[in-house]
Parts: sequence; structure tokens; C-alpha cells
Amino acid sequence: MSSRPRVLVVDDEPDYLRIAARIAAGAGCSVATAATALEGLAMAEKTPPALILLDVGLPDLSGFEAARRLRRVPSLARVPIIFFTVRSELDMVSEGLRLGAAGYVLKPFDPDELLRRIKAAVLPS
Amino acid sequence: MRPSAVCLTRDPAMRAFFKSSLRGFSLRFCPSAAVFLRSRPSGKLILIDSSLPDMSGEDLAAVLRGDARTAGLLLVVAGPGNYSPAAAARLLDSGADEYFRFPPDPAVFRARLLNLLSRGAGRAAAPGQPAELAFGPLRVSPEARTVTVAGRRAALTALEFDLLLYFLSNGGRVVSRSVLLERVWKQGLDSGPRSVDKRIEALRRKLGAFGARIRTVFGLGYILKM
Repeated sequence: MSSRPRVLVVDDEPDYLRIAARIAAGAGCSVATAATALEGLAMAEKTPPALILLDVGLPDLSGFEAARRLRRVPSLARVPIIFFTVRSELDMVSEGLRLGAAGYVLKPFDPDELLRRIKAAVLPS
Repeated sequence: MRPSAVCLTRDPAMRAFFKSSLRGFSLRFCPSAAVFLRSRPSGKLILIDSSLPDMSGEDLAAVLRGDARTAGLLLVVAGPGNYSPAAAARLLDSGADEYFRFPPDPAVFRARLLNLLSRGAGRAAAPGQPAELAFGPLRVSPEARTVTVAGRRAALTALEFDLLLYFLSNGGRVVSRSVLLERVWKQGLDSGPRSVDKRIEALRRKLGAFGARIRTVFGLGYILKM
């Protein structure tokens, strides 16, 4: 069994899904991907990840609603979530952080910045 | 009245520096962007650690600058000692009023903040667009929509000009073809991943030496190396 921390990336935009997955792999993580919130929720429940990178504008549920549902599952309540999104409105950012997100990263993003945040979230400090 | 500042940092060294260099200021400390935003952004002067636990200083500056309720705040960002000039330029471009490498000279730091506070009293809600943007040999005038490279005029189409501006405001970040199509291309224009590639090729050619800075990130999109 792999001892690498598992990162779940949920984004409906294939380009960003690939970029984020590649960066997470570069941080030494194993990566699972989902293109919808419901698919992501099901995958997370089956195998709780060490970190979830969550887009906000998903086609089925908003990333915020997905985060609320994740928090209600006992095994997932403490899994760090980093929102990564084009939504830069102050109220959206405030809401995302109020949900207890470990991070809020605006797209397009600096690959080094995302790498640092993934490492900080999954590696013991 | 005593000058005041909100200090966003979790770093003990930075906290101590603000306390000692800003004696006489009324200071409030927030360890994260989340705590700051929850407490309703207030005060005039906001000092931001570029690497907060939950957001980058660059993203937070852009968010605060983009909202009418917080656009008038004075934003000063503290970067690490190895912060590159390109990163600093990007930070200022994202809306920060001032940037410094940590730790700066305490007396200069204090004087700069007091200057900023006195000048900032009449600050407009949103900063105007600069007359000319400069990046190495490149000069861009957003108003006149002209571009020169090492003094020579580059004849860009309207779309190529918009594409260049988008790259400049997102320097150092990977931008995918689909994001370029969404943000830069207008409805009805010939649009598809191939047309993005073709336009970028033309833009690179027209920008001469600067064009090589627009790199292809295989399978993902493009990045402008600053």
C-alpha cells in the first residue's frame, strides 16, 4: 500500500484538473480526480483523502455546498479543503474561508504557490 | 489621532517587527485572511504577510481591491527575503499599494507608512490604470493600445493586444486555452483551441525577443515567464 498522501482534485475544467493533478503528483502525492461534486463526494467517502482541491463553480453542486456535505461525514470532517477558483468576489472568498477552508487560491494560479499550499496541507509540520 | 493598522500575519518575527517599528500606532493582529474577513475589514492601513496560511498576499490584495467596500484600503504586503522583483511587480499590479522585503529597515518602514497614510487620505476608491506598463524591453500603453519592444512599434491586432494584456496581468501563472477563449476571445470570433495556438504564435513573432517569454506548457496551456 502506498504511503503517499492522497489528494482528491475536483474540477469540471479538464485543463485545470490536469494542471492541479500534475502539481499534486509533483508534491509527492497520489492523485484522484473527479469532474463533478457528487462524483468527488462519493470518491472521498470511499477512500478519505489527505487533502481535497475543490473548484467552486461545479456543474452539479457548488464547491461550497460540496464542502458542507463533506463536513457532515465524520471520516471527512477534518480533511483540509483548498478552494481553487476563478471566483474572486470578496463575499465568495469570505464564505469559502468561513467554511473552514485551509486555503483559497485564485485561478489562474502560480504553480509554485499551489505546490507550496499542497505541501503545507499534507506534510506534517 | 493615533495612526492605526491591521496586521495580517502568523509569523512571530513579523509580529514582533510590526510592534517595535510601529510604536505609537494602534495595531490589531489577525493570523489569517479568514479571521480578517470575518471581522469585517476595517481600518485604513492593512499590512499583509505575502504567505498567509490560507491565501497568498497577491490573491488577497486583488480580492480587496476588487470590492467597492474595501477598494479604498491601503494595502502593504511584506514578502520573504528571496521575493523576486517579478513577484513584487505582480503583487503591485494585483492592487497592493506598497511592497517590501521582510525585514525592512524599521525607520524607513515607519516613515513610508506614515507617508502612505497622509497621501492616502484622498485616495480614490480604485487606482487608475497606469499610462504605460513596462516589462524589460516591452512598453504597453493600455489607453493608446500601443506596444513597443526595445523602442520598435509592434503592430498587434485588437485580439493580440487583449491577449498580451491578459498574459501581463497573469504573469507567472499557467493559463489554459479554454480560459483564454473565455476571457479574451469575444463571441462570434473564430474560436477553438487551434485558433488560440495560432494567435499566440503570431503574438510571439510580433513581440520579438519578448515573445519567447510566452512558453507553452505541454498539454496544459501557456505561461508568461516574468
